[in-house]
Amino acid sequence: MTDLVQESEPIAPVAHRSRFRTTAETVLRNRLAVAGLAILALLVVVALAAPAIAPYTINEVDVANRLQGPSAQHWFGTDELGRDVFSRVIIASRVSLQVGFISVGIALGVGVPIGLFAGYYGGRIDSVLMRLMDILFSIPAIVLAIAILAALGPDIVNAMIAIGVVYTPIFARITRGSVLTLRDAVFVRAARSIGASDGRIIGNHILPNVIAPIIVQTSLSLAFAILAEAALSFLGLGVQPPNPAWGRMLSEGRGFFQQAPWMAIFPGLAIFVTVFAFNAFGDGLRDALDPQQRSVIESRGKA
Amino acid sequence: MTQPVLSVRDLTITFRTREGPAKVVDRMSYDLGPGETLAIVGESGSGKSVSSLALMQLLPTPPAVVEGEAIFEGRNLLALDDPEIRKVRGNKIAMIFQDPMTSLNPVRTIGHQLIEPIELHLGLKGRAARKRAIELLDLVGIPSAADRIDDYPHQFSGGMRQRVVIAMGISCEPDVLIADEATTALDVTTQAKIIDEIKDLQERLGMSLIWITHDLGVVAGIADRVVVLYSGQIMEEAGVDELFRDRRNPYTRGLLASLPVPGRTGRRLDAIPGLPPDPLRPPRGCPFSPRCPHAVDLCVRQEPALREPVPGHRSKCHFDPEDLYE
Amino acid sequence: MTGFVVRRIGQMALALLGVSVIVFALIHFVPGDPVRTALGTRFDQEIYDALVRRHGLDQPLAIQYFSWLGSAARGDLGVSFRSGQPVTGLVLERLPATMTLAGAALAVALVVGVPLGVVSAIRSGSKLDYAATAISQVGVSVPDFWAGIMYILLFSLTLGWLPPSGYVSPFTDFVGWLKHLILPALAVGLVSASIIFRFVRSAVLEALNQDYVRMARAKGLSRRAVLFDHVLPNAWIPIVTVVGLQLGFLLGGVVVVEIIFAWPGIGRLAYLAVGDRDFTVLQGAVLYIAFMFLVINLVVDVLYAWLDPRVRYD
Repeated sequence: MTDLVQESEPIAPVAHRSRFRTTAETVLRNRLAVAGLAILALLVVVALAAPAIAPYTINEVDVANRLQGPSAQHWFGTDELGRDVFSRVIIASRVSLQVGFISVGIALGVGVPIGLFAGYYGGRIDSVLMRLMDILFSIPAIVLAIAILAALGPDIVNAMIAIGVVYTPIFARITRGSVLTLRDAVFVRAARSIGASDGRIIGNHILPNVIAPIIVQTSLSLAFAILAEAALSFLGLGVQPPNPAWGRMLSEGRGFFQQAPWMAIFPGLAIFVTVFAFNAFGDGLRDALDPQQRSVIESRGKA
Repeated sequence: MTQPVLSVRDLTITFRTREGPAKVVDRMSYDLGPGETLAIVGESGSGKSVSSLALMQLLPTPPAVVEGEAIFEGRNLLALDDPEIRKVRGNKIAMIFQDPMTSLNPVRTIGHQLIEPIELHLGLKGRAARKRAIELLDLVGIPSAADRIDDYPHQFSGGMRQRVVIAMGISCEPDVLIADEATTALDVTTQAKIIDEIKDLQERLGMSLIWITHDLGVVAGIADRVVVLYSGQIMEEAGVDELFRDRRNPYTRGLLASLPVPGRTGRRLDAIPGLPPDPLRPPRGCPFSPRCPHAVDLCVRQEPALREPVPGHRSKCHFDPEDLYE
Repeated sequence: MTGFVVRRIGQMALALLGVSVIVFALIHFVPGDPVRTALGTRFDQEIYDALVRRHGLDQPLAIQYFSWLGSAARGDLGVSFRSGQPVTGLVLERLPATMTLAGAALAVALVVGVPLGVVSAIRSGSKLDYAATAISQVGVSVPDFWAGIMYILLFSLTLGWLPPSGYVSPFTDFVGWLKHLILPALAVGLVSASIIFRFVRSAVLEALNQDYVRMARAKGLSRRAVLFDHVLPNAWIPIVTVVGLQLGFLLGGVVVVEIIFAWPGIGRLAYLAVGDRDFTVLQGAVLYIAFMFLVINLVVDVLYAWLDPRVRYD
């Protein structure tokens, strides 16, 4: 009698391409995720085109018109030096996106290989690497970032490094987790039995299956990285003047709260919308790729 | 048959899905006599588990729509309200499931879980309830029951865990015990032992037993009557000996033919080609027609009736085997 | 159980050691000369040399580390470059403020997040569920410092209900203390609540789908009994895990919020120390924050083992 016992196995690499299509379809069905994606697309366009489309330059001081509310000439109003808030906000988007992408890129580039090696080779390597990751994990994110920036000096590049370091452990953890599940999967054993080298196994077989959680984590980490950048520049530790940054604009806006609340409202709104878009899209990705992915991701939290 | 303990009439279960209604059980009817063991046999997706879950209203009713009747003690189980059906569950009719590891709550002792139905239905409390729980563990063959009653599920082996689950099932001496693939997750030796133990308990307690399985080998060892289910419909129903000796329905024939025969090595297994129909798009005529080697035009066009050519032996087919197999 | 606790304490000590190395390394690889910066315009070679000797800065790094570590173990974290006050004292002074704020934020997060998450899971698919999930999506994306500023704008400057910043001791003015506590606690707590809500919801949903829940219902237990006796005890476990992980975020958020609301806590101390290049203070503060975090994680782990018997027999 046909005994329909099904073993759920990770899909061997051949099925990868059609998985992309089904994933894309699932994500597109999720309205919130699509909205997020649309916002992100708009954001990238705006960021790239910012110098061209901004009506004013970032340091166009116009003291006569300082602290004006939103108007036709100044959509987001002006700050204490008469600078156009709208222009500064959209130009600052370049910084945020830059820092976000590069820092997550660093976290990916360092964390994923660490996770791969720790998971695949196990034993001593695993213990040592994971111990290291745990130690990094055990300092609250923003505190660690502050400490790193205190050491390296506040600067946009250092901010990228700091945020990258802060998020490396989680990429390492997730990669390692996936690798551990896959290491003993049947198709890996099969590959090994025909003599494939370790490198080949890792590259061709393990990596494609590990990609899904990494992709999800990337999107969500981007959201948090942008928040982290905002927090750091809020504290004066990120991008330095005269370059505008959302977080710093918030901090500067605090001083003029009562007269010109728009100085603080709009940059913060920009941060919120960006982070929301990344989160919405990331959630959509996660629901499509792996609904069971636990909130180790979510709860590592923001800086 | 003397007055049946349980009488199921035209049980029909439909699931509302995003792609439309899916009929998972279609007009299933059977009777269960006192002390009788009825086996419900079918492939995965045949509706066998769902049909039993529905009896005690254990199906989530937003997606599921349950129609028909299940008469027990003069009342329709499917129409009872929540407080009433809860009095039946675990008490008059008990159900045990396939995987003992997941059927037991990992963070509560087995004693706690065993005592729950005892306190709830038998009104025993404290010491008395605990005493009964220990007796039950003894009954199902757990050694040093008095010590082990405070242990957690993960401290038991698979076979032991299933025995604990069985103990929970029989704790209130139900009239009917429904076992849904209760031994499928166990190794063959343990399987045989547990089946024997359940039969023993059944005799001692005078229970009726509904045994749900896909494994015909188990059926031979335990059942009095057999119902063969395919795509939510009863294809054949007969006494167990009668069924094995004289299977009338092509589907049942296919099932039995695909069993490996001990001693006859070197031949390919005769699996039934094809897959069961999609409950969203059931075939119009006989549900087995797409895969039946004897199917003709009539089979595809018209749904066969459940005929009873031999008393006590029903088959859903337009033809008799005498016509099909010369 | 005690074996488990002892082992975890050992692990914590190791982690703390690791953290101390990192903290020390970070601070000491700073380009530039902290003593010189601290002296600023009052620079004088003699005083400089004296200070260097006093803080042991002329010793090789390894010795500096161990002596710092040794003193730290005895409770002496050095003295502030700026003010000369003992760091330990400065930190301990501010500890209660940070702890109360973190505690309040956690309370907000749990009181809002957990019940909503449970109810949402039970009534999955209902309007309440959709609404709560949508709001939480927003809540997760809001920067807590921006939220803090917005709250000040709304509740202090516009409505005038609550003070915009500052701190009053609960012993001198309890109501005033509460009033000062609300906005910062909400700023951090509500964001955390959103994260916890989402997690609790999925944990409870998963528990609800388990076979043992079906088994419990098959035994005739009422919905309530199933929920409290079977679903929640299992859902607690991942919930406790996420709360533990959230604490890192909470502490981080508290640091930022302390700055906005001028709440005199360790976070604010650390921030001001960065500005002053006062590295002994920064070292001490960061070490202390990490230590608190590790201790809380330890408590969470022990709680976890207590809730889940499978872990104990590790």
